[in-house]
Amino acid sequence: MGGSAVDEVRPEPEVPFDDSRGAERSLRIGIVCPYSFDVAGGVQYHVRDLAEHLIGQGHHVSVLAPADDDTPVPSYVEASGRAVPVKFNGSVARLAFGPVSAGRVRRWLGEGDFDVLHIHEPVSPSLSLLALWAATGPIVGTFHTSTPRSRAMIAAQPVLRPSMEKISARIAVSEDARRTLVDHFGGDAVVIPNGVYVDRFAGATPFPAWQGTPDRPTVAFVGRIDEPRKGLPVLTAAIPAVLAARPGTRFLVLGRGDGDEALAGLSPAHRRSVELLGALDDAEKASLLRSVDVYVAPQTGGESFGIVLVEAMSAGAPVLASALGAFRRVLADGALGALFDVGDPAALATQLVGLLGDPECRAGFARRAAVAVRRYDWPVVARQVLAVYETVRLGADRVGQDPATGGRLTRWLS
Amino acid sequence: MTDWVLGALALLLLAWYLSSSAGRLDRLHHRVESTRAALDGQLARRAAAALEIAHGLDPATGLLLTDAASQALAAGEERPPDVPVLEAVENDLTRALQAAFADPDDLRALRGDPMLGESLDLLAQACLRVQLARRFHNDAVATAQRVRRKRVVRWARLAGHAEWPQMVELDDTPPPGLVDPAPS
Repeated sequence: MGGSAVDEVRPEPEVPFDDSRGAERSLRIGIVCPYSFDVAGGVQYHVRDLAEHLIGQGHHVSVLAPADDDTPVPSYVEASGRAVPVKFNGSVARLAFGPVSAGRVRRWLGEGDFDVLHIHEPVSPSLSLLALWAATGPIVGTFHTSTPRSRAMIAAQPVLRPSMEKISARIAVSEDARRTLVDHFGGDAVVIPNGVYVDRFAGATPFPAWQGTPDRPTVAFVGRIDEPRKGLPVLTAAIPAVLAARPGTRFLVLGRGDGDEALAGLSPAHRRSVELLGALDDAEKASLLRSVDVYVAPQTGGESFGIVLVEAMSAGAPVLASALGAFRRVLADGALGALFDVGDPAALATQLVGLLGDPECRAGFARRAAVAVRRYDWPVVARQVLAVYETVRLGADRVGQDPATGGRLTRWLS
Repeated sequence: MTDWVLGALALLLLAWYLSSSAGRLDRLHHRVESTRAALDGQLARRAAAALEIAHGLDPATGLLLTDAASQALAAGEERPPDVPVLEAVENDLTRALQAAFADPDDLRALRGDPMLGESLDLLAQACLRVQLARRFHNDAVATAQRVRRKRVVRWARLAGHAEWPQMVELDDTPPPGLVDPAPS
């Protein structure tokens, strides 16, 4: 009973020579984001930028994401209802699940009539998994996370496998994310990096108050202050040694969180070198990165890609980063920015003092990085994503609803 | 009486399990088929793009490319649908492309040409898409193979007469200078 698909006549490979510029045809694209648009986050930004870029190219895009019905969302976002904060895979995320969400996913699929369905983080217990469960046809999945092999994910495999098998093309945002995926589920994935609007950073206006002088160089940190994984404690531990060598150095810290607590270990004299900027919007962040002499990324783990590094490189800020796998790859093993041992404040201080004293080295990093970041520019990245869409559409039907799963059960429940 | 009900329930459960496993396998076979069709399509596009650009190159390089590309196109057209891709022919085209576009200076000159620049761009896209399509196909094959190795699938012969899915192994590395996004 199972082999019928093979016994049937194989669809003729469609070879439309005349429209091989497929990327320019207008597509109907459905994108599913599992995390709430009420909260800032890497996946949400990625989905937003991708959707806006594709719309700008003339495609029809609808994004399904959790959001309260009264939360203002961009016009292309379909709010799927309230998201609930729950702990999953070690951190709290706002997710949407349950029969009401499943019903909305089915309705969205039915009304959207999509050529391609693009699901982000397909294994998160939210809209993504529901969409995967309910849909058939050309489905693209993008995997953002890189985690060590987790027991919970392995335990969940029998539940996830049949859904995972529906994804016809798997994208990982980095080599690390690809490895995580292959370790857990086998198979393979193509690596397409996260995108950055390079020119928005390259063309940002520097802000004089944040620009360094030879006596008072400026160093930027970007990230949650109260999340140790982002590495602020490593930077603060390095501050005394840096100030001993270059007393005028100013540290500009961008990010939400309780600053006083994070800086409690510093003496008042050292504390004065740190300026807490709080949370800034995108344009201000670009100005900051455009202004400073060095951007430091002292993260200690859990980074799958390192988008801020690419943003800093786009803005022309020389980068000093911990030698995490993802960062080493973005910095081409030290060719595009300096690296120091993960979690080692002494190594950070030595490298930072060296960089601050060597303008030529900094200029060299900035110059090489400005060329290398072009591969992360949205037009380049979106083109690769479109190539994936075109590839999964060849020989496949449109996106539809799975009669085996999407049918009676959810209709009863919703 | 209870035994009878329990037995019927167990049978029902078994039937449901078998039918859902069969459905899953069916879907996987379909995915293997459609990704194969996509790969065939992308290979044909690559050959067509190579043929197109061959007309604008110097005669020696042009002849080399035309030969390899038309061999690949002919092999694709004459091949019955269930015969695997002719890997040797596609490998030859890959090597011909690598040989034709080995020199970065030549490539830069070609990119500057208004007519050829566009064809070159199409060829670069086609080369990348072959890589994508092959990876997606082999991913589908690996998944299908794993499910078909499951005991219940073998014992209940859920795969029917379907052939054992095979990966496509060929060299699809594009010429290095061709696909790297050119720094502007």
